[in-house]
Amino acid sequence: MSERRSIDFGAMFSPSGHHLAGWRFPGGNAGKELDAAEAIRLAKQYEDAGFSALFVADVVSIWGHQLDSLSRTTRASYFEPFTLLSAIAAVTSKIGLVATATTSYNEPYTIARKLASLDHLSGGRAGWNVVTSVVPLEAQNFGRAEHFSHEERYVRAAEFVDAVEGLWDSVADDAFPRDKASGIYLDTRGRRAIDYRGEHIQTAGPLNISRPPQGHPVIFQAGASETGRAFAATYGEVIFAAPRTLDEAKRYRAALDVALQAKGRRHEDVRVWPGLSPIVASTHEEAKRISDELNGLLHNDVLRRVIQDNVGDVDFSGFDLDAPLPELPASNRSKSRAEGIIALARSEGLTLRQLAVRFAGGDTIGTPEELADRIETWVDAGVADGFNVAFPYLPGSADAFIEYVLPILESRGIWRPHFGATFRDTLGLERPGLTTADLQERAS
Amino acid sequence: MSRQLHLNAIYSAAGGYLGGWRAPGAPDDAGLDVGVIADQVAKLEDATFDAVFIADLLGVPDSHPDVLERVATVNDSFEPVTLLSALAARTSRIGLVGTVSTTYSEPYTVARQFASLDHLSGGRAGWNVVTSLIEAEARNFGLDAHPEHDARYRRADEFLQTVYGLWDSFDDDAFRWDVHSGIAFDPDALHWLHHRGEQFSVEGPLNIARPPQGRPVIAQAGASEAGRALAARHGEYIFSGATRLEDAVEYAQDLKRRAAALGRSPDDVLVFPILSAIVAPTRAEAEDRYAALTALLHERVALGDLEYWLGDVDLASLDLDGPLPEVPQTNKSHTSQRQLIETARREQLTIRQFVQRNISAADRIVVGDANDIADHIERWFEAGAADGFNVGFPTVPQDVDDFVTLVVPELRRRGLFRTEYTGTTLREHLGLARPASRYEGRAQAA
Repeated sequence: MSERRSIDFGAMFSPSGHHLAGWRFPGGNAGKELDAAEAIRLAKQYEDAGFSALFVADVVSIWGHQLDSLSRTTRASYFEPFTLLSAIAAVTSKIGLVATATTSYNEPYTIARKLASLDHLSGGRAGWNVVTSVVPLEAQNFGRAEHFSHEERYVRAAEFVDAVEGLWDSVADDAFPRDKASGIYLDTRGRRAIDYRGEHIQTAGPLNISRPPQGHPVIFQAGASETGRAFAATYGEVIFAAPRTLDEAKRYRAALDVALQAKGRRHEDVRVWPGLSPIVASTHEEAKRISDELNGLLHNDVLRRVIQDNVGDVDFSGFDLDAPLPELPASNRSKSRAEGIIALARSEGLTLRQLAVRFAGGDTIGTPEELADRIETWVDAGVADGFNVAFPYLPGSADAFIEYVLPILESRGIWRPHFGATFRDTLGLERPGLTTADLQERAS
Repeated sequence: MSRQLHLNAIYSAAGGYLGGWRAPGAPDDAGLDVGVIADQVAKLEDATFDAVFIADLLGVPDSHPDVLERVATVNDSFEPVTLLSALAARTSRIGLVGTVSTTYSEPYTVARQFASLDHLSGGRAGWNVVTSLIEAEARNFGLDAHPEHDARYRRADEFLQTVYGLWDSFDDDAFRWDVHSGIAFDPDALHWLHHRGEQFSVEGPLNIARPPQGRPVIAQAGASEAGRALAARHGEYIFSGATRLEDAVEYAQDLKRRAAALGRSPDDVLVFPILSAIVAPTRAEAEDRYAALTALLHERVALGDLEYWLGDVDLASLDLDGPLPEVPQTNKSHTSQRQLIETARREQLTIRQFVQRNISAADRIVVGDANDIADHIERWFEAGAADGFNVGFPTVPQDVDDFVTLVVPELRRRGLFRTEYTGTTLREHLGLARPASRYEGRAQAA
């Protein structure tokens, strides 16, 4: 009988901390959003600790146009993911490198190439977090007055991913004999145009780089609405999920498995990584004190924005933070998220302030044992194959998690460092191979 | 101190010569190994090159399969900005210049990538602005045909104006990171672009602090009328394809005159003619290496290269002992096409002779000992054809090694080239001022 598979940890890149006020935390990383040396230090720390992936979120605009709150956060200035991860690729050797790229405001040829290039640069460690964009400002930076509708952007996303995967498969693994003696570099039978023609996306191919070492870089996805879930079930290999309770997580995994079955895929083809934003201290009280201190650093304008950014474009500026959540109109943003948040506020009778604090970061607090128990519970319940860890303040919260929580998980046999030759190997995902013979067969 | 020249490395991981990937010491994977490239670039940095430059195409050319099967770079290369970002982490001084097309990109995306690279590298980014070349690029981006030459240049001009505006989104001192008050940046130091143009509509602001260089350096290679106009208006780092001294002098003088007419200082427009060198300790050894190099290039590939630059014309089915036929104007590089046709007419070449001439690359590769190469450089430099050279390496690593160990010391001995970096940014290497933000000194907009 084989040893139990280790879960995976991904670290979310957030150099001054993921909590909205994390950059203000004493001894923290204020002002290091664009510090290349610190970015590299963090990546190496995560790699040395055995994290399977480094994940870079992205929005192709600033994160909102209300400057009163935005100017109090780190969300107006940050590295572009492909440039950042390519630099990190050059100074790491094992950790997976996951870049967020939107299908709404890019072209598939560009993204297929960037990911193939990153996969070659890193020796097979690239991943792509497929998003469809949510912030209204993103549209306006790309010539559109308004964002695509929710349904329309998923149609585009499906065509986009089909085209990108088609481009990766436009060159066989063995297309390049590179025979110096005969002078033959390319076996032309191992490459073909794809001539993809969709409603939104047209691209001819072939790609002008060798097939990625992983065949396909690993596809990450976070869609939680019904449309998003169907999309994730079709394309996703690792799913970032945001359930807030174990019951919610169980319902999510069950629904995903149904969706997977409908697409002819198996439970084990897709890994689910819930989010985790840990505050660890030697006592529960001390962890709670840190959490309170962090939340106390949140300005009222920022608290209002947290709710607004999650539930839609409603102006909260006149609302009393210490009153219950008012009635809200429907939104074109992430539907599942808005509904979940509103339901949470209603069921627990939360004030706006209490609700906002739940979304500011640092959602799991306790002693190392408590953190390990929480992780173990979710893993045993079959709802977590790994966790996407967003450290609320740095370097402190990462140092504590790595030093105190990981050894407990290792001793309990839940997790251990387990790097493979490529990111796919690390995750235990199959490599989609493609030989010249395969291509010839498809063509005939 | 006397005027000094600049050196840019046009780096192709498989070697710059079409048959170069076959050279005995060339990497077996033809360059898809960042470790090997980083080692080469470290040598160029030790030799105090101003920058390394990575060219690009957004597709595989429509060349005949008999040609494509025998070439490396256009089939199989890193995407430039990802490669340069990796190199940023492995180097500390050398400039990092990459090609990105304005025809098949969006200003917001490109502004961000180069700002991000500039921050990652501590101010070493440069952008070679191209309008793209081949029909395959159009097809990869959902168009049936490549937009016509002048329309591409109009788009490029507005693209650049938009990118400059985005780079100025935040004032240089916008970010406070005041943990006490909780102010990360001064809201008054953020500027919405509100660009509404013929080609683009971009609201801004860019989601990254102003680049360390203010603006990454703008490289350009326009040689046609529209290209020269764009280069004179925007270019700071100009690649010249001229292969004859008189053409190179004309080009450099014309560009500087055009820039001056637009109110720019001619000193802010640096011209870099191409220079590929085969250099060895003795002239005889260099000749031997050159002969070995040209033996690596298959005749069909050399013919295909002519077909490509002449505008995807079919020469292979013609009588090779006849003259070059009349060809219609290409939608690719007008200047490269014209130069080829002029050469064939001037030297009254048959197609076969033209192929042999292309194999020898006689007007593009300088062969000799260190003195010969330095003499060539000095002659062009003194004649006003060059502020620096765009140095190509027919094969790697051999020609990189030879250039940095033989030519660079000779240039230094002659006082023509720096012995150490005096600045940290690419602008500082080039003696180019850091541009002020368009908002600097302006009262806050209401």
